[in-house]
Parts: sequence; C-alpha cells; structure tokens
Amino acid sequence: MDTNIGERTSEAQPKWRKVAYGGMQPGFDDNHTDDSFLEDMVMNANVVKRNMLKVMQDSVSISQYLCIVVLVGLVWTYTLRSTLDEKSLLFLDISLLGLGFMVILLTGEMLSLKLLSHYLLNISFFTTGLYILAPIYHILTRSISSDSIWAVTVLLLLLHLFLHDYSGSTIKPPGALQNPTLISCISLNASVVASVFIASRLPSRLHVFAIMLFSLQVFLFAPLVTYCIKKYSIWLHLLLSFFLMSVTLGLVYSLHRLLFVMLLGLLVFVNVVCPYWLIRIQEYKFEINGPWDEAKLCFDITD
Amino acid sequence: MGQQKERHRILMVSDFFYPNFGGVENHIYYLSQCLLKLGHKVVVMTHAYGNRSGVRYMTGGLKVYYIPWTPFLMQNTLPTFYGTLPIIRTILIREKISLVHGHQAFSTLCHEALMHARTMGYKVVFTDHSLYGFSDVGSIHMNKVLQFTLADVTQAICVSHTSKENTVLRSGLPPEKVFVIPNAVDTAMFKPAVERPSRDEIVIVVISRLVYRKGADLLVEVIPEVCRLYPYVKICDKVRFIIGGDGPKRVRLEEMREKHSLQDRVEMLGAVPHAQVRSVLVSGHIFLNSSLTEAFCIAILEAASCGLLTVSTRVGGVPEVLPDDMVVLAEPDPSDMVHAIKKAISILPMIDPQVMHNRMKGLYDWHDVAKRTEIVYDRALKCTNQSLLGRLSRYLSCGAWAGKLFCLVMIIDFLLWRLLQIWQPAEHIEEVPDFTLSHDED
Repeated sequence: MDTNIGERTSEAQPKWRKVAYGGMQPGFDDNHTDDSFLEDMVMNANVVKRNMLKVMQDSVSISQYLCIVVLVGLVWTYTLRSTLDEKSLLFLDISLLGLGFMVILLTGEMLSLKLLSHYLLNISFFTTGLYILAPIYHILTRSISSDSIWAVTVLLLLLHLFLHDYSGSTIKPPGALQNPTLISCISLNASVVASVFIASRLPSRLHVFAIMLFSLQVFLFAPLVTYCIKKYSIWLHLLLSFFLMSVTLGLVYSLHRLLFVMLLGLLVFVNVVCPYWLIRIQEYKFEINGPWDEAKLCFDITD
Repeated sequence: MGQQKERHRILMVSDFFYPNFGGVENHIYYLSQCLLKLGHKVVVMTHAYGNRSGVRYMTGGLKVYYIPWTPFLMQNTLPTFYGTLPIIRTILIREKISLVHGHQAFSTLCHEALMHARTMGYKVVFTDHSLYGFSDVGSIHMNKVLQFTLADVTQAICVSHTSKENTVLRSGLPPEKVFVIPNAVDTAMFKPAVERPSRDEIVIVVISRLVYRKGADLLVEVIPEVCRLYPYVKICDKVRFIIGGDGPKRVRLEEMREKHSLQDRVEMLGAVPHAQVRSVLVSGHIFLNSSLTEAFCIAILEAASCGLLTVSTRVGGVPEVLPDDMVVLAEPDPSDMVHAIKKAISILPMIDPQVMHNRMKGLYDWHDVAKRTEIVYDRALKCTNQSLLGRLSRYLSCGAWAGKLFCLVMIIDFLLWRLLQIWQPAEHIEEVPDFTLSHDED
C-alpha cells in the first residue's frame, strides 16, 4: 500500500502538507508521517555547560555555611560544658557584631551615617527585647528532658541546613528587590527554635541572653555578611571559607575524633564529590522544546 | 454507503460532556451525531453532573450514561483505579459494545475505562485534545499516566499535527498508530450576518476565558496600543473592542480600560453562553485570539465561519487550522500582535464574510470527521487480539519502576475482572434491545 502511494505521488499528486483544514488529503492516510515530523523539536536548548572548577568554587559557599553552623554548635557545647563563661560569651557577641558591621560597611555601597544609626537603633531594640525575654527562654522548656532537647535541636539544625538559601541571604539588605521565599523563612525559624531549645539548658539568665544573642546574630546575619563579602571579592570569600574550614576542623578535632572524620568527609563530599557528580550526570540531561510548549510572555505581569 | 459496511457499536468515554461546555464536549457530541447518521450505534458515558444522573437520550437517539460518580476537581472524577470496573463492564455488556473511544488526556474516567476495556479484550481508541510541555511536575505526572494508557491503546487520534508530535513524544507510541483528525465546526450554526456590518468602525472581537493560558495578559498590552494607533478622531479608521468571557484576569482588563480611559472603546460582556457566541461574533470584523497554547482552537473556526478575519498568536496547532489568507498570525509578543492587527485592518476591505463562510463549508465538516474516524475504527478492529502476557511486556517497557507498577495495576484489574465474571456472569446482564430511529423525519 505504501509503495502504491509513493507511485501516485510521483505522478501528479499534490504534495502532502502539514495542515488540518480541507479534509483528508487525497492519496494520504490520516496517519501519514513524513520527514517534517518533529522537525520543529529543539533538544537541550537551554542547557548550560558547566565547568568543574566553577562548580567547585560555587560549592565553597555551602561548606562555608556548614562550618559556621558547626562553629555555633561548638560554642553551644563549650558553654554547656562551662568551658566558656558568660563574660567571654558577651565579649564574643560584641566582637562579632563589630566585625559584622565593619564588613558590611566596608564591602557594601550603602555607606551612610543615616543607615548606620538606623541599624544601631534596631540592634539596641533587638538586644533589649532579648534581654527582657531571657528569663522566659531560661525556663521555657525546663520540663522537657535534655535528651529530647538535643535530638530536636540536631533535627532542627539539619532542617535548617537542608532548607537554607545558600545563594543569597534571607535577611536582605535594605532596598533588595525580592522578598525571601517561604522555604528560607522556614529554615531561619528552625535555627531560631533550635537556639531557644539549647538556651533553656543553661545555668543563668545572663548565659541565656548571651547565647541567644550569639546564635541569632550568626543565624540572622552571617549569611548577609558572607553574601556581602562574596559580592565584594571572590578571593576574599574563598580565603575566608578556607580559614573557617581549617578553624572548624581544628576545633572539632580537639573535641572528638570521629566527629572530625565525619565533618572532613562531609566537606570533601560537598566540595569535590558532588560537583563531579553534577558534571557526570549532565550528559543524561534531555530537554525537549517545541511548538507545543506554552509561549512565554516577554514582559512582566504586575498583578 | 455506511449501511453496507460493518456497523460499529461505540462507547465514547470522557469526564467532559454536556451540560459542561467546551471543545471536548462539542467534539464528542458532533462526532457521535455524525456516526449515528452513518449507521453506527453510539453510547456516551460520563460522570453525573449535579442531579443529572442515570440514562438520558439526546438528539438522534444518542444514549448518554451519567454514571453516579461525582467530580472532585475541575470536573474530574476521583481516580480509584478499580472503582468503575463493575459499572463499565455492565455497560459494555448491556450495550454489546465493540469498541471503546476515550477522550481527553486529563479525564480520569477515560483512563479508567480504557484500562478496563483493554483488560476485557475490547479494542480501544483514544483522542488527545490538548498539548503538554515536558518541564513542570504536573506535566511529567500527566505524561506518565498517558504513557500507561497509551501503552496498550489500539489506535490514537490527535486534533492537529502539532498535537500528534506532542502525543508521540509523550507516550512513545509509533507515529503510524497516531491519526490526525481535526475538529470541525457546525457551519450551519455559525453563519455571517445577513447584512454586512458597517465599515464606519472596525470592531475587534475577543471571546475566550480570561485566564493566563488564553493570553489575557497579552490583551492588556495590545488593546491600549491599538487604540492609540487608531484614535477615534479620524472618520475612517475607528477601532472598537468587544471582549466576551470571564475569568480571573478580567480585573486586569478592567484596570487597563480604566487606566487608559477606554470605557467607550472596550466593551466587556462577561461570560457569553455558547448559544449567543454567534450573535457576538457577527457584530465584529476581526477576531482576536491571544492564546499562549492551543492544540487546535475551535474558536477560530467559529469566527471564520461567521466571516471574521482572524488575528492569532502562532502557538501550538493554530498555524495548521486555517489557510494563510484567512488568518494573520503573530508571535505572542505585544508589538508583533499590534503589527498583525494593523495588517489585518489593512486587508479587511478584501474580505467578504459570505465568501469566507462558503470556503469554511468546504474546509471543515463534522461528517468528514466522522468518516475519517470510522476508518480509524475499522483499522482498530482489524488489529490482532493480544494475550495478557503480551500486553504486560508492553507495560514493562514503560520504565524501570513505572513499568512494574503498571504491570501490577493491570494484573489486579485482570483478577478483579475474573472475580466479577464469577460473581455476576455476563449471561445475567440483560442486553438492551436496539431501536432504529427513522431518518426520514429530517
């Protein structure tokens, strides 16, 4: 039957056209398929070729934040073991605050006295509030056993790390265009709840205040500070990351041998194995576009 | 000539049927009517709409089963996999059905019916009425479901060539099994106005649901620009818009009208019942379709049949629908659309609605659609029967995990069917006597 059709087309048959009108095309069945079938299909049009070095460099941000969270955990542990007293904790808070300010002022383009006073006012409100609430935090979860507290804290920190927005920061510098997403807000809240839980295990109110201030400072503003550094200079960012990594690894080594091995393994996994993996699975990428796709509007819809 | 041929007994299945309204519903109704005229027996099965439950008869003796399953989302029944098996089996045996024809990829009832029909050894045909992408989660899920249904379908029908390409890619069917049979339009219902609309002002008609997918946001950009290009001061080129339809984007359009103070030039009618679509269409000169995705677009056919020149976005199957001289196509981009409208206004004097209508009569006809569908049915019935094992191997090739899951679903279906056969033997189900409606009346 097919050859029959072929002969007839070679004589005087009109060519088959890719149209729906005019009923059945003479000489061709409705299931006729010719070379033009799928000719408008585009494969892998938007796939970005990735560079191993670039991906590794990007993954440093993740390990950097990982180290920051581990450092917070270390401070918690040392405070609970009474290695760190409240005075040194408060000193740590103030020095971190000052350092953070310095970084933001030096790297950001928003160097103005008005903004600085605005920040200072907010921070004083924040600390006062925290100081007033410290007694409540102190006894908030008294009735819960320490084991449950530790388990929940670890889970919350894992949730925090899993949902954290590693590409930017949840706390935006003023004038940022986008609002934080729901996911990153959940992540931030998980970390805050974890610090409240830990704070309730501490011996005095001043301890609670100092540790809460420390945790909130880090969880709220560390992403903003590292984001500013990264935007300012990628080399400074890498330098800071490696410094943080070595400090964390050293401190964890002195705390526990097994934890050190686990952290080292995790850092290698994040920085080397995952990028290699991503590059490897790129070849399985198979993206199809064609006339059936919904057209994208080329202008912004502001509802 | 239909009488000499084998008389098919067809069951049309879809969640979408009257009293609901849309392209699929229209397609099933007109196809059924024309198949009845060709001498076949057609029964439609859909879910209950409100208190419309049970058996109804429509024009020409078309029997409709509204099975008592209530829809839960967008007129779809809840997917239960096996819940519908007893009632579908009963209908198939009662009506002595020889072939099952399912419509629309996101109708759960259609998927379930096709699955049960295949289990019971019936030949099945599937018509796909819509397009799907490959990128978002919803589409990926739908494509897997479609792959499951189409893995074992005897023949498939698509409404346009673009839709065929899409379906072949989504389901992995060989292209030879997929037929392209477009929709049609009832040209007798969509006649141009007896006296031609005056040329004092040019009326551009838009009739569509005002949602994102239909390009309501494009209209918001295009309408003020066109109104600016054709100010109301000159004597000749006055342009006015009539927008029929309702939806979440209606507020945006009303805002636009307010912002550019176009109240006297943009008329918003709200939802237009299908019976009144023609009267709205004939009051205009140009039909504007701004869809972002469209498998076929019956609205364009209705407008062209009323003698309107169509301006449309070049998406999906739209470029295949009309010959180039009956439609002006544009990219889905405001400046290109404005350009197309300008072009349409300039060629408008050459358009004679009556000539356009007569051409449409030759281009599209439901009887032609029915005859072409009949060929697909003939082919489907000629296909060899397959054993359960042969069919299972086809499901197994659908994917590493999905394949095994599909097989499991089919095996359970097969066992349930056997159980039903013992519990309620086919001999105990009463068969419906046939009656023939005399065609002399019409």
